[in-house]
Amino acid sequence: MAYLTLTDISKQFGETFAVQDFNLDVEKGEFVSFLGPSGCGKTTTLRMVAGFELPTGGQITINGADITNKAPNQRNVGMVFQAYALFPNMSVSQNIGFGLRIRKEPESAIKERVEEMIRLIHLEKHIDKYPYQLSGGQQQRVSLARALANRPQVLLLDEPLSALDAKIRVSLRSEIRAIQKTLGITAIFVTHDQEEALSISDRIVVMNEGRIEQVGTPFQIYNFPETQFVANFVGSLNTATAEIADPEQGLLHMDGVQLSTAEKLIGLQKGDKVRIAIRPERFSFASEQKKANVVDCTVENITFLGSVVRIHLLIGNTKFHMDTFNYPSLELPKIGDKTQVTCSLRAVMILGQA
Amino acid sequence: MSNNSDVVASGEYHPKPPFRRKLSFAWAGVLPFLIFAFLFLGLPSFTLFIGGFQDSEGHFTLANIYGLFTPSILSAYWVTIRISFATALIGGLFGFFLAYALVLGGVPSWVRSALMTFSGVASNFAGVPLAQAFIFTLGRVGILTVFLRELLNIDLYEQGFSLYSFWGLTITYLYFQLPLMVLVITPALEGLKKEWREAAEILGATPGQYWWHVGIPVLMPSLLGSMILLFGNSFGAYATALSLTGGLINLVTILIGSQIRGDVLHNPNLGYALAFGMVVVMAVTMSAYYLLRRRSERWLRK
Amino acid sequence: MKKNLIWSWFWIILSLLYFFVPLILTFVFSLQTLKDQFSFISYQRVFEDRGFIRSLIFSTEIGIVTIFLSLALMIPTVYWVRLKAPRIRPVIEFISLLPFVIPAIVLVFGLIRVFSGGLLPLTNTHLGTNFLLVAAYVVIGFPYLYRSIDAGMGAIDVVTLTEAAQSLGANWFTIMFRVIIPNLRAAIFSATFLTLAIVMGEFTVATFLVGLKSFGPYLWQVNQNRAYEGSALVIVSFLITWAFMGLIVLVGRGAGASDAAGPR
Repeated sequence: MAYLTLTDISKQFGETFAVQDFNLDVEKGEFVSFLGPSGCGKTTTLRMVAGFELPTGGQITINGADITNKAPNQRNVGMVFQAYALFPNMSVSQNIGFGLRIRKEPESAIKERVEEMIRLIHLEKHIDKYPYQLSGGQQQRVSLARALANRPQVLLLDEPLSALDAKIRVSLRSEIRAIQKTLGITAIFVTHDQEEALSISDRIVVMNEGRIEQVGTPFQIYNFPETQFVANFVGSLNTATAEIADPEQGLLHMDGVQLSTAEKLIGLQKGDKVRIAIRPERFSFASEQKKANVVDCTVENITFLGSVVRIHLLIGNTKFHMDTFNYPSLELPKIGDKTQVTCSLRAVMILGQA
Repeated sequence: MSNNSDVVASGEYHPKPPFRRKLSFAWAGVLPFLIFAFLFLGLPSFTLFIGGFQDSEGHFTLANIYGLFTPSILSAYWVTIRISFATALIGGLFGFFLAYALVLGGVPSWVRSALMTFSGVASNFAGVPLAQAFIFTLGRVGILTVFLRELLNIDLYEQGFSLYSFWGLTITYLYFQLPLMVLVITPALEGLKKEWREAAEILGATPGQYWWHVGIPVLMPSLLGSMILLFGNSFGAYATALSLTGGLINLVTILIGSQIRGDVLHNPNLGYALAFGMVVVMAVTMSAYYLLRRRSERWLRK
Repeated sequence: MKKNLIWSWFWIILSLLYFFVPLILTFVFSLQTLKDQFSFISYQRVFEDRGFIRSLIFSTEIGIVTIFLSLALMIPTVYWVRLKAPRIRPVIEFISLLPFVIPAIVLVFGLIRVFSGGLLPLTNTHLGTNFLLVAAYVVIGFPYLYRSIDAGMGAIDVVTLTEAAQSLGANWFTIMFRVIIPNLRAAIFSATFLTLAIVMGEFTVATFLVGLKSFGPYLWQVNQNRAYEGSALVIVSFLITWAFMGLIVLVGRGAGASDAAGPR
């Protein structure tokens, strides 16, 4: 049995379901992200694991023990909040030691554990400061240490980075991941930022309107989205409408441009219209050896995005983006040039009938 | 703006006058306000202050200050302080409970906004009308007094209660103290973040432990500060007390009132010292309020 | 959770009883002028009393002059400080909050001592005395007015607004009356009504300076002699306070009303 299980979890507010049919098994030491737009039920699910909300149906277990209806203070889970939620009247060390003090552990043990935690988050110099004297990033690290000091069975992180500046967000996210790996703690991380989820997680649960859309590794989620929602929400995407020319061969026509997919188009007829999607980075400039889709296009605009250059293409009558790495010897076409780009058969995803 | 580096380069360096000119220019715009405040706020206060240290011939003396420590005046201060303390404490506690009920008690929001609005009115409904309303209610022939006596056989006045004494004054003052407390403590209660409670809970704390370790310590500066404000608020009250007791209670404000009307102390300068003493008490109170408020704002900043 | 809710209602109902019983009983009292029947005769007598109308008009006039003087004094000052002299802001704030420290009875004591003789014997004439009354009310209103004007100007970022207006070629008069003041409407209204509510019933300063001419002392006088009409006046006075505070709520949240302390 998995370490943390959520079985058929649902949460109903009046008539509406905030969460429905939620099933998830999390292994010990795993880092799982809940990803989705606001209002998709990810925070509600997390709060049910924490005990702040009680599910209207289903069961939650940790390490085999049913905790579905236990009070939050009986669960031994740790939580990091979006707005830090440090106690303003306590110093850094008092904040970190709070949970241990509540458990009435001996002062010497508390002191030792607090110092250990302080070292873990590299705030040795700030041990006696108060929250208002710390920056947002520092406060969130203290909040993490406070949650970990109790040796919780599961660590819950509720959008812990979204109140921070972009730079700190990135550095703290790798710090959180490193600490989680060191301690081998099971963690659930709620975010609406797909890049964050992709970079930090072992597995991602993509949620929409209270339901799970897809569960998978970042690689699976990004490269093999199972639903249109996942494809749209994770990564950037070119979408277009195409007409099926040959379902057996996976052949498509789009404004007179021919495209092929890797799969057979089962259950579809010639002449059916489908939505297709291609990620911008799957395109490259055509060269002779590529045996894939090769299409004619016009370069409409070129935007530098730092490490990536985005080229705006017109293929047939549809606008596409193509992303290519930026390196000094890169030879870029000029605006208005007619050229050819290529993408593999597997890059052409079918999102369903149009 | 003068360009200092040029001046230095050309060898003739003046200690820069522009700063001074800029400063006096800054003051020029607020001159009407300053003059007005000086004439009608500064001058009157200052005159009383000076007067408190003068004898009838205008020579410097500390006799008036010593005079404040005579039994009758001391007792006036003492009664005033006791009433202010009682109304601050009771009004503070009850006001806090009421505000708590409104903010965190889970009552419908219209109840809350209705009572907040009413608090705004009630905290300004003071003075003569307030005193009279209580006289009609709890006075010797007040409707409630009569009702209790005739129908329930409880004679308040027989049992030692009098609206015109300490407790009567306290009950009446609470009418503006309690809503004032609600108004000033509500922002602090709203500043208590839901996440603090949740964080404490998930770290194993019971609701009681949360209040003991977090809620009450965080609110303490606001609570104390608000009660101090209430203290000052009732310390300077004159109209309510006069109207309720007809001037028969020995409060500092009542004493000053009688002094203005007809030099009951037989020493004008002692009167000034008396008034000045009030300002000192108020200044201490308000400084404490201000400091505590700054502290709580630092904690409760959103 | 349930227990919490029960306690909440307990406190709310207890407070409502405390707040409304005196008002209701005063109202009941005011209806009992005639033996054995309820009537509004006391109200009729109140409204027919020439002193009532006269003192009400007098206090309203004083209130209106107070408001105009306060605004004329405070708006340019706060504006100037924000625009040109942010460094002296603490000084202005300190002075504006000083009246909290000086009880009305002390203020009027000092005013009488300074202005009943000497260089500016204001209390020798009716006009001078009335002006002194207005001045006292302006001073008492400083803390509320300063706060609501300052908060109002903070909310609209007057500096940027002024620069924008200047860059469009507006002169100072236009900036003040077409840009700044219209944007301060809510703050000005709430300060105005609060000042009116305070001035209308004010007793302490009025009784020593002008006596029965103004509404507060008049109300007191009536209550000393005629209980039924007195109780009717109390109800009327409460309704007046209600009306002004209701107006504050109507024009938006009363920025200055939070630390309110009226005539005690």
